Amino acid sequence: MSSKNKMTDVTYWDKYRGKIYSSAGGWFGGKDVYCHGHSMMKDLLGHVSYMQMIILNATGKLVDENLSKWFEGNFIGMSYPDPRIWCNQVGALCGSARTSVTAATVAGALAADSRAYGGSKTSLQGIQFIQSALKEYKEGKSVEEVVSNCKKNRNNRPVITGFARPVEKNDERLKPHEDMTSKLGFIVGEHLSLAYKIGNYLEEEYNLGINIGGYTSAFLSDQGFTADEIYQIKSMVVASGVTACYIDAKNKPSDSFLPLRCDDIDYNGHPPRKLS
Amino acid sequence: MTKNNNVYSNKSNTNIWHEEASDNNPYAAKSCKLHGYDLFELVNKCKFVDTLFLLFTSELPTPEQSQLLEKLMIFLINPGPRHAATRAAMNAGVSKADHAHILPIGMIAMGGDHLGSSEVEKSINFFNKNIDSDPEKISKKLKEDYKPVTDGDCHIAPGFGSRYNSIDNVSMKMARHLLQLPGAGSSLKWGSVFANEISHIGMSWLSTGVAAAVFNDLGIGAREGAGLFQLMSAPGILAHGLEQTHKPITAMPMLQDEDYVIEK
Repeated sequence: MSSKNKMTDVTYWDKYRGKIYSSAGGWFGGKDVYCHGHSMMKDLLGHVSYMQMIILNATGKLVDENLSKWFEGNFIGMSYPDPRIWCNQVGALCGSARTSVTAATVAGALAADSRAYGGSKTSLQGIQFIQSALKEYKEGKSVEEVVSNCKKNRNNRPVITGFARPVEKNDERLKPHEDMTSKLGFIVGEHLSLAYKIGNYLEEEYNLGINIGGYTSAFLSDQGFTADEIYQIKSMVVASGVTACYIDAKNKPSDSFLPLRCDDIDYNGHPPRKLS
Repeated sequence: MTKNNNVYSNKSNTNIWHEEASDNNPYAAKSCKLHGYDLFELVNKCKFVDTLFLLFTSELPTPEQSQLLEKLMIFLINPGPRHAATRAAMNAGVSKADHAHILPIGMIAMGGDHLGSSEVEKSINFFNKNIDSDPEKISKKLKEDYKPVTDGDCHIAPGFGSRYNSIDNVSMKMARHLLQLPGAGSSLKWGSVFANEISHIGMSWLSTGVAAAVFNDLGIGAREGAGLFQLMSAPGILAHGLEQTHKPITAMPMLQDEDYVIEK
């Protein structure tokens, strides 16, 4: 065979051709299912909570019951049945358009994969911030210096995920989370301790305080999770509220969810013109 | 291969697309054919609308079919910023959802029974079930069973009904326009008679019905028509959704508590 026609080395792809290598687990028909090394039928089903399973499938970690209960409380607090919230409004619009409940819930969850709100992607940013802030703080930087390195908005105010809520400043979820953390026997770790210091500084200097995203990111960093792990665990965290808003809209006549008149949309584009 | 007594094929199969492997790499394609036509021959000689028709029907359209499909595509290109699907995409856009999610969110919301792809599928099935019957008789029967609603709109049949308690003038106008084209077939004609028969109760064509009639006249199946309806509405949904991504999160309304009523 001439060099021109020499076969390309495709050994790597041939290894995976017709074969799956999984570290997540798998089904052995009629016998058992394995999840990250745990037997579903012997060790999981009937023995652990659904939240523990969600965390196991998302991270490979089988967390203890207390941490699982903390997550469950956090999930409750991250899913409001209020269609003014963007992801829930997507669910309500799907209800108004008569999609299936699954389609609506997935669409809402997809909408909440946002850098502005939602608790999944924002956790990614929040955890990256607090973990790198702690590193800088331990290296000797002051809270002021840590904050001064952050992105600023056009008014020269720091933009830090977890330390300003889009809709209103006071976060009604913070106190119940603090109570839950304490009730379940968790102590304030070094990330959370720093988050409080940053929150206090921002409040004094910029009238911005720690919100639930900042609190959660710091608490979960203290529990040893990475940013990616939390994003993976919380990918569907808003789902329940979206479903509620879908059902509410679906049970009402189509197009009755915030109907818009033609002039409810402001048009600012090109004036009328003809094709040449 | 067998599993649970079912026999599974050793290979997936398709009538649509064929890739011929390169001489020196079995994973790399050297040519692609769509229903037998070389991709680059289509690239050089074929309009997008004709290639789309080919993809779903296995044959290139006649000039009349091509014209009919292209007119429908222009008609459907933007459901407008008041359609639930567009609003869902706009919501996602303004609230900083991942940009890659905006189109899928809109497409999901475009999949419903109310002015969405599910209604198109049902409407095509409605045409196929009734096309050999007199549309006047079918409308008479449906009107006999029809109970006027006071809350919201009524769809007397999939693809036909009222919009905000009146006739959807834009869809009706489009159906009349399409009916004049040489590619118009029996579904558009049947639908027009049916629409006339229900107009005195404030109903007529809906966009889903117009699309269903055209798809049916073009020999495009109910499932394919439903999906194509989503696809053809996608550009407008995407444009409106992306437009909002360039604006602040405050660029769309957020109702205040006094405008939010919790029903007991």
